[in-house]
Amino acid sequence: MNKNKSKEYDVIIIGGGATGAGTARDCAMRGLSVLLVERHDFATGATGRNHGLLHSGARYAVTDHESASECIKENMILRRIANHCVEENNGLFLTLPEDDITFQSQFVEACSSAGISTEIIDPELVRRMEPSVNPDLIGAVQVPDGSVDPFRLTMSNALDAKIHGADLLTQHEVTGFVREQDRLCGVELFNHQKKEKVNYYGKVVVNAGGIWGHHIANLAGVNINMFPAKGSLLIFGHRVNKMVLNRCRKPANADILVPGDTICLIGTTSERIPYDQIDNMFVSKEDVDVLIREGVKLSPSLATTRILRAYAGVRPLVAADNDPSGRSISRGIVLLDHKERDGLEGFITITGGKLMTYRLMAEEATDLICKKLSVDKKCETADKSLPGSEKSDLSLENASQKIYSSSSIAQKSAQDRHGSLAHKVSNGGSNDDSLVCECEGVSIGEVKYAINELHVNNLIDLRRRTRVGMGTCQGELCACRAAGLLCDSLEEAGKAKDDLANFLQERWKGMSPIAWGDTINEVQFTSWIYEGIYGLKPENN
Amino acid sequence: MKFDNIIIGGGLSGLTCGIKLAEQGKKCAIVSSGQSAIHFFSGSFDLLGKVDGEDVSNPLEGMKSLSEKHPYQRVGLENIERLTDDALHLLIRAGLSFTGQANRNHFVLTPMGIMKPTWLTLDDFTSFDHKDHFPWNKAVILNFSGFLDFHTLFIKDGLKKLEVDAQIKNISMKQFEAIRKNPSEMRSTNIAKEFDKGNAIDEFAEKVNLLSETTEVVILPAVFGLFNRNVVEKLNQKINKPLVLLPAIPPSVPGVRSQIMLRQRFQDLGGTYFMGDNVEGGTFDNNRLLDIKTNNHDDIKLEADQFILASGSFYSKGIVATHNKLYEPIFGLDIEGDSDRNNWLDEKFFNDQPYMHYGVKTDDKFRALMDGQSIENLYVAGSVLGGANPLKEGSGAGISVLTSLHTVEQILK
Repeated sequence: MNKNKSKEYDVIIIGGGATGAGTARDCAMRGLSVLLVERHDFATGATGRNHGLLHSGARYAVTDHESASECIKENMILRRIANHCVEENNGLFLTLPEDDITFQSQFVEACSSAGISTEIIDPELVRRMEPSVNPDLIGAVQVPDGSVDPFRLTMSNALDAKIHGADLLTQHEVTGFVREQDRLCGVELFNHQKKEKVNYYGKVVVNAGGIWGHHIANLAGVNINMFPAKGSLLIFGHRVNKMVLNRCRKPANADILVPGDTICLIGTTSERIPYDQIDNMFVSKEDVDVLIREGVKLSPSLATTRILRAYAGVRPLVAADNDPSGRSISRGIVLLDHKERDGLEGFITITGGKLMTYRLMAEEATDLICKKLSVDKKCETADKSLPGSEKSDLSLENASQKIYSSSSIAQKSAQDRHGSLAHKVSNGGSNDDSLVCECEGVSIGEVKYAINELHVNNLIDLRRRTRVGMGTCQGELCACRAAGLLCDSLEEAGKAKDDLANFLQERWKGMSPIAWGDTINEVQFTSWIYEGIYGLKPENN
Repeated sequence: MKFDNIIIGGGLSGLTCGIKLAEQGKKCAIVSSGQSAIHFFSGSFDLLGKVDGEDVSNPLEGMKSLSEKHPYQRVGLENIERLTDDALHLLIRAGLSFTGQANRNHFVLTPMGIMKPTWLTLDDFTSFDHKDHFPWNKAVILNFSGFLDFHTLFIKDGLKKLEVDAQIKNISMKQFEAIRKNPSEMRSTNIAKEFDKGNAIDEFAEKVNLLSETTEVVILPAVFGLFNRNVVEKLNQKINKPLVLLPAIPPSVPGVRSQIMLRQRFQDLGGTYFMGDNVEGGTFDNNRLLDIKTNNHDDIKLEADQFILASGSFYSKGIVATHNKLYEPIFGLDIEGDSDRNNWLDEKFFNDQPYMHYGVKTDDKFRALMDGQSIENLYVAGSVLGGANPLKEGSGAGISVLTSLHTVEQILK
């Protein structure tokens, strides 16, 4: 075989989710040469399609001790290394009149044995601490839950990998592998932007494709049986709750309400779906009805709160038994060395787990990679902060500057989103301060920064980096402004128009399952602007 | 308070009804809850641009293939031509100068740089005769530095397909520095307010002339003349090259001005305009609406011989959707629309969305139905009617204006 050895990486990682980006970071920090490939964009799979819950582990304490202990350890690590991605909101496990109050003591005990701190709080106090809570509650336990922005977390890992020398390729899909007898030595990729094929070579290939890892393994001739369990969620237009609200019972449908950024989220449902449906993530009317019905039990005001979007993700669980709901399967980490398992050298799969344990998964995978490459270097990802999260300056001067500074909405929002990297948000003049997205406070400068430095290929990527179009209006006016800026950078107006049309379709996908009330009003207005006044078409603009 | 006619809704439809009735000497009131579609007016009124996805060159002919449920068919095609003349003259009497014909669509350039068929175009804007021909070969597209609501590259791209060589240039002026410094103030209406004062016009025209020396035509965002209706005229006099204005992101400056002028016309005719008031319900007796209750008038009931509901579609809250039903929020009138929300929408954003066709049910005289019975003095006009997808057809303004004029004729009979 004609093998181009001009550049051979130590490791090629497939998948731009939290696990892939985390593994790229870990490998790069240990001095390996790394290539990460992703078929769409960072955090487009299960990573970006969950609650954004910084689990304390309490949810699994009773049913899955191992996951619970992993969660609380990682929870504490993420508070340190990724503080700009985390909101330390705390969480409550509520017992409602229909729940069994005796479960509470079992729950508290299981939490302590997993190392999760708990505090039983009097319902009267809870009603004052968290006014949105169902006032009928009969019991509550506080745990160290929080919120985490999975887009920001993944991007920070990718950025740090890059800082440590890794190469990152988005819009590159794995179509096959380069093989030499019983060894993988590279990947065959399709570049979706340039519409061309390209091969890259590496000593170890890591399958971090989440649920898509099943298919990726198949391409290498290896069989892993994934268990696709769809989970649907709803995003509400503002934060009704300050703390994460859970039900104090065994995990069930729609029993977590997470506040994050400007919104809050209720989820999830759990439904087994056929593997061929994993790219078809629609949310049914029944899913929506269940989420609202159960959500209202946690916080009655959800019944009258505007819903912005519905979305669904697929849990990447590795199939074990025939559990129809997929809930009693362990969220445990699965690390497969395909040499041991299938006799295929140079290929490993890291899967299972969950967003909370992405770093641990990356560590375990990197340990195995290092062993294969005979590299003896310790993991440092738990100790070193992610870019954007470096220790803040605690001096008096800095603190008073923070308090008294007259920074704009845009500067404050950029600070929230990019942490200590916010200074990179270009501030080249008064023009850069102008707001593109008024709902989320995104400035021209922030859009430019994202386009120039954060691997943005289209408006949907831009949304993941900056929250453009994620707010109340769902891209009504900002989409066009952002498209204009993207067009300035890409210099391809026709493509930018199609991109704008795609963006509107993508927003509609999330809005259509909940299109009533203000949402249907808003979408009608959006249609009139873009189709009526602008004359935008779905394609070939 | 007693009026001859009360109109619920202050958009294009409500104002058309109000002006027409007041011109006939009726004592009228309009109750308006706020902004309407005129505030994002593109500069043109469409009559019928497309039937079944195909371009229509003569709207009056094109209407013949519309379904029986379509508002135009229900108005009666034999009445349409007369009503379109009537509409144009009503606008002209209000001081709004439009050009266009009902039997032949002309074209306007959209902010995407695409030619779009339309019926009447406000004189601020340029009408074109052909879909694929722009009368100039060299253009300059000018924007204000820091103004994000006008997308010059999109226009340039569209013009390139029309074989026009376009350059893009920016204009900075000290008059706009103050608004530009505030991150959310550089919007069309604020730019317009600076020009309204009058002192920016000369300097601006001078800069435009300098930047357009080598071109044949100047393209600018339509951000001129909010309260001062002479700004566009003055610019046309002072700028040496022909001026083509294109709509910017809403709110639309010519739209706000048009709304103000129509409202002024109505008030000059003696009409009463209740702004920022919401109708909460009415008293019915024997299939007649006796009076309505509004938010601002508390226990003072507003009485009239005839009422017209011109409350608009979903975005104006003329129709309301919840997770399990559609309803008309003021009186609970009968609705034409599917009861299962799964059928309201199409999963593709750009497809013909079923909800766009929904509206209040009426009898053949455009009187509202409640529990299947006609309310004999409650008429329905404009986009709250349903029976068409005005977005897909390019018929929004036409339906609003023509059903309004038709309804007034019913009342005056």
